[in-house]
Amino acid sequence: MKNKLNQLRAEFLERLDRAQNNEHLRELELKFLSRKGRLSEIMGGLKDLSLDLRQEVGELANSVKKELQAKFSEVSQSINGLGASNIKVDATLPGDKLAQGHLNPITLVQNEIEDIFSSLGFMILDGPELESDYYNFTALNVPPAHPARDMQDTFYVDYKNKDNQYDLLMRTQTSPVQVRAMQKYGAPLKAIIPGRCFRNEATDARHEHTFYQVEGILVGKNINFANLKSFLEIVGQRLFGPNTKLRMRPKFFPFVEPGNNGEYTCFLCQGKGCRVCKNTGWLEIVGAGLIHPEVLRAGGINPEEYSGLAFGFGLNRLAMLKYNIGDVRLFNSGDLKFLEQF
Amino acid sequence: MYISLNWLKDYLKIPAKIKPENIAEELTRHTVEVEGLVNLTDQFNHVVVGRVLEVGKHPNADRLRVTVVDVKDKKLNIVCGASNVAAGQLVPVARVGASLPNGLEIKESLIRGEKSEGMICAEDELGLGKNHEGIMVLKDKAKIGESFAKYLKADDIILEIDNKSLSNRPDLLNHYGIAREVSAIFNLPLKPYDKSFNRKYDFLGIKENKLEVKVAAPEACPRYLAVKVGQIEIKESPAWLKERLVAINQRPINNIVDLTNYVMFDCGQPMHAFDAAKIKKIAVRYADKGETIETLDEKERTLSPEDLVITDGREAIALAGIMGGHNSEISPETTALLLESANFNAGIIRKTSQRLGLRTESSLRFEKSLDPSLPEIAIFRFLTLLKEVCPKMKIESALIDVNHADLNQISVELDLEWLRNKIGQEIPREDVVNILEKLGFVLDGKSDGKLKAIVPSWRATKDIATKEDLAEEVLRLYGYDKIVSQMPVLEMALPEVNKERRLERQIKNILYLKNSLNEAYNYSFVGEEQLKKMNIDFFNHLKLANPLSGIHNLLRQSLVPGLASNIKTNQFKSDDFGFFEIGRVFFKAPGSLKRDKAGEEFLPYQEKRLGLVITGEDDLFIRLKGVVDNLLKNILDQTVEAEFAVLDNIPGWADNNSSAKVSVLGQELGVIALLGNEAGENMNLKRGVALAELNFNKLAEMVFDRPAFRFAEPPKYPPVTRDLAFVVENKILYNDLRKEIMDFNPLIRSVELFDVYIGNKLEGGKKSLAFHLSYQADDRTLTAGEVDKIQTDLVADLSDKFKATLRNF
Repeated sequence: MKNKLNQLRAEFLERLDRAQNNEHLRELELKFLSRKGRLSEIMGGLKDLSLDLRQEVGELANSVKKELQAKFSEVSQSINGLGASNIKVDATLPGDKLAQGHLNPITLVQNEIEDIFSSLGFMILDGPELESDYYNFTALNVPPAHPARDMQDTFYVDYKNKDNQYDLLMRTQTSPVQVRAMQKYGAPLKAIIPGRCFRNEATDARHEHTFYQVEGILVGKNINFANLKSFLEIVGQRLFGPNTKLRMRPKFFPFVEPGNNGEYTCFLCQGKGCRVCKNTGWLEIVGAGLIHPEVLRAGGINPEEYSGLAFGFGLNRLAMLKYNIGDVRLFNSGDLKFLEQF
Repeated sequence: MYISLNWLKDYLKIPAKIKPENIAEELTRHTVEVEGLVNLTDQFNHVVVGRVLEVGKHPNADRLRVTVVDVKDKKLNIVCGASNVAAGQLVPVARVGASLPNGLEIKESLIRGEKSEGMICAEDELGLGKNHEGIMVLKDKAKIGESFAKYLKADDIILEIDNKSLSNRPDLLNHYGIAREVSAIFNLPLKPYDKSFNRKYDFLGIKENKLEVKVAAPEACPRYLAVKVGQIEIKESPAWLKERLVAINQRPINNIVDLTNYVMFDCGQPMHAFDAAKIKKIAVRYADKGETIETLDEKERTLSPEDLVITDGREAIALAGIMGGHNSEISPETTALLLESANFNAGIIRKTSQRLGLRTESSLRFEKSLDPSLPEIAIFRFLTLLKEVCPKMKIESALIDVNHADLNQISVELDLEWLRNKIGQEIPREDVVNILEKLGFVLDGKSDGKLKAIVPSWRATKDIATKEDLAEEVLRLYGYDKIVSQMPVLEMALPEVNKERRLERQIKNILYLKNSLNEAYNYSFVGEEQLKKMNIDFFNHLKLANPLSGIHNLLRQSLVPGLASNIKTNQFKSDDFGFFEIGRVFFKAPGSLKRDKAGEEFLPYQEKRLGLVITGEDDLFIRLKGVVDNLLKNILDQTVEAEFAVLDNIPGWADNNSSAKVSVLGQELGVIALLGNEAGENMNLKRGVALAELNFNKLAEMVFDRPAFRFAEPPKYPPVTRDLAFVVENKILYNDLRKEIMDFNPLIRSVELFDVYIGNKLEGGKKSLAFHLSYQADDRTLTAGEVDKIQTDLVADLSDKFKATLRNF
């Protein structure tokens, strides 16, 4: 009887192996596994055996039954497409290629910055890209004869005001929104202003007439230089890692006093010196300072009562550093080969 | 700007422990950015003194000579092209390995078949002047084999300072100014500037020889000093003078020109020397319209009435503060000078210099507002040095000083308590006092809590006027590193959310993740040619007054041209792709943002738009409609449907047959269309393109105003679906038919188009539209009878209204 069982098992497995379709399967099931099939027939003979033998052969018959049923359902599933195949598939074959879209890296970096400052309770503000001379310059303490107003730096719109002066321009910085924000919200004020800016200069790998900045302002009572320093430190740590250090030096911007440049430890070489930081170990990233009293006044805020800090980054530069992009023109190029990497 | 360390040492005793690197670093930390540090010895590495032993003809070239040069350790074969080379000369030899200041790297080479183991150098190759007439022949005292740097005594170290970091510090465009900062940074004593020279000149014949100087425009020329000096001999400058100038990259010219330059780099005052024989008097005035002057660079300049000129009473002899005139120039025959040391208005100099495209060391200084007390100091400095350079010189006139300058002394009060609050920590009073005094401030009122600081004249032109300015001076010299950072303590407040920005992000994510579109950032500028190609009218566009080029001279009024160009840029890189952009467009009509504080005028209207473009093989118009509909559902809610209706004004770029206006919830948002064939051909596009442009601001308002979405319980009773196809005239619009069906009976819950057929199985001019109709009631299962009844009525209704017939399959 044991022999019979083993014989049946071998025969079944062999035929199962050759089974190609549901018809074959049905036939096998009927012949071997069904109530009137051969396995049932054999098991029906168990009752004629001695008690000892009955137990031994019964166990074997049960295990064979289980095995055959499992194998059967495995093959059945593979034929009916419900699960793993018994045919070894090349697991290294590629998946389907789905079409993909991509965001501009400026958007990626800008989102990152917006999230940092939103978490600190800053508003995210927007402003006009076509600005007036007043907001872009005068309100920011850039007097009429200042070199920053040179035609060579600013795109003016071909429209003259009552005094026969070009009065409209493409904003050269996001800073005009500082004053607009002060006028609208007053003090205290916490805001960042990301956006598109323009400078009238010929483009090459390092210069672009259309670029992106983000700047932040914090106006309150007793905002001081130690606060500014602290702020720049945490921003650097969030952008470039917890061990990032800040180094400040004087830099003139008309709308802040004192005015500073902030350098951060080069995140690529951790300050050891590399090609990107020109072997200095530092990356010049941020312009900053305490808001000039004239700017606060232009915004309708009393500088004797309130003070403020301001800082700004170039988003192009951040993106170039972060992703190792060598040519600033790529951002506005609409080149798929560029965008596809982000 | 270049600063020589040896020059600084004229005014400072720098202890050995302060290395040049420290000076560069600390100047950067406290004052101005030092971009580089150059050891002059290094630039003459591998350049030595050699003696020419033999000069022979080159076998293969008439103009070349083959020489043998002794450089002590070796005799070198050198091919030389100079005609003045001769045996016995002492010459500078660049040996193999030298890298010359002009960029040339010396290697062993074959020149027309002859071996050459170095180069005998001309002046220009060594960066010592422009002379390339022949090789430089050295003086007899030169020692064979010694380094050329040693021969030149070029043992100087040069600091390269970033000019941009000096934009508000005209006082630093010279050695004394930098020396003052170094003295303040390292707390070193600074030698007084004008103690080192003689002010006791005998200005002879004050009455008889009074020089006539007239200033017709005192606001443009607040101060003008002049003096006539005779018995001058124009010659080469003495070695010390040439060395100083060469060290800071200035080309020596002759003793007088070099000396004016020297004084400028020494104390910051530009000066000019006229040939006194060529002019009788000085008159400063504005130029006449169209007046011309030939400047020293031998270019004729046409002037305008805003330009300031120095004249001899008749014609212009110098462009004030910028460049001298050719007609009054010093020449080798000059024997008497008329010396000018003046102060000019910064704005006037800047404008003229800019308009003429003529920037000089002089204009660079004047345009930053110079100290009006400086001309007097400088003229004495010049005369003292002139005596040294031309010992026979004789002063032949009175010192004329036409002085309209406002030498108002600004004083600023600094409250130390205020300073502490401004900085966030206490800076000891003695440090504050020491820093300010080192910088030249005179302190008054020594009461404990307050200091009164008189601003030195060289900082009072524009630079320092308020207590904030003083705070910066104290802070930067005290050191930013010494300030302990401290986060501000602020009241908590819920910031206003920028909903527009949030929506922008949401839209971008949908478009790039779900619709596989790429984000373009296109320029805000377009050009006439580009618009012409797309058949877009450009007359109404805002123009730039000073565009970089004709392709970017107008402000865009649509995102479409940029997006169409994006397709063109990439059409050979991919077959099936698309872009989106969210950006601003600009119109002449005023918007709602104020132009200035008065608020009577407004900025031009600047609308934010969302633009979409796709290209590929099939069904572009339909595909893009799907993108738009899907986007609107996502950002408004799932019950919303984009509506596409016939456009009244089809834009020039759009295809007449495939274009529609896009609306949602009854509000018009923009257009969607295929790019017209003409535009596509003009742009050389190789595949079809579909474009859509929506008003982002309007869309945003709709999103913000939309009431919160409410969940609707799914119906409990099953729907009955029927498929129906209607044959109608081609001109009948799907949307009209659909609306009629939807509105026909409340039990009709959805109408979905699944086929459009136009072909030979139908009469000409007709089309068949096939719909899945879904009937459903909330309170019962509909019976077939109920549905049939509605359907019969519907067919009758459509036949009545659209002459639609039910199609038999």
